[in-house]
Amino acid sequence: MKIEKQFQDISQSQFSAPDGDSFLEKLHNERQRRIGKKVSFLNGLSAGIIVAVFGLITTSQLTDDPTIFASNDLTPLEIMDNETEEFVYELAEYLVENSDDIWETLTFLDEIEFETVVTMNNGGLE
Amino acid sequence: MKTDHELIKEFQEGRETAFNELVKRHLPNTYGFFIKFTADEVEAEDLAQDVFIKMYKALKKFRFESEFKTYLFRANVNMSNTYLRRTKWRNLLHLDQAPEPGYVDTNLEDEWRRKELWDAVSKLPSRQRMVVTMRIAQEMPYKEISKIMRISENSAKVNYHHAVKTLKDLFKN
Repeated sequence: MKIEKQFQDISQSQFSAPDGDSFLEKLHNERQRRIGKKVSFLNGLSAGIIVAVFGLITTSQLTDDPTIFASNDLTPLEIMDNETEEFVYELAEYLVENSDDIWETLTFLDEIEFETVVTMNNGGLE
Repeated sequence: MKTDHELIKEFQEGRETAFNELVKRHLPNTYGFFIKFTADEVEAEDLAQDVFIKMYKALKKFRFESEFKTYLFRANVNMSNTYLRRTKWRNLLHLDQAPEPGYVDTNLEDEWRRKELWDAVSKLPSRQRMVVTMRIAQEMPYKEISKIMRISENSAKVNYHHAVKTLKDLFKN
């Protein structure tokens, strides 16, 4: 292949340019299409990130450790407000006075570390 | 008739019709550049479209430090480099599409030779590739090539000379 001849052929090749108006119409349509595609992509990406973050936050709340659930349900005696404390004491007193087996009730209170009540009622002997 | 810079200023102020006028003015040259490159009307039109879409965004920040024609031509050359890189891989995978020896369809053979030539051009070092592209596709004088590439005129000539030598060696082998 003669390189220079090839170059010459290419340089001198004839062509007719496309019509300006139709070229512009296609150009602006394509431009809008690309903008729309970019916006959709960014929206999809943002939504994906939000779902991922939300999912991570949610799954981090899940646990198989029962003591965590249990500890959420039982507020330690030391941080109870006065009203709640009073209610708990009344409840414990009711259990002690109405139980069929006082020793079983006292064992239960012991298990939940309700020492104050045990001491107060002297093991139910008073 | 308004100059390119006046049209760009108007476009920057929000007049889209100024951009359209600019495109119509430079479309023949840009399309002509790419048709010599690709020998395919559809590809040439797509490449020209890509360049002007990029221009639509880039002209909003145009600083009027060079002629628009120079700026546009640099964009054409960059686009042609992208095209050559893309077709290099395409050609690697489509080697069986070369015409059968002995089969003579002049148009197909010419097209294939042109593709073979551009494929070879794509293998040149980037500076030589750019000089050759501008000489072939635009018959650009070395003075203008040197302005666009920001090299001396002699450097442009040397690059062209080396490029042609490399291409001849490639085809000999």
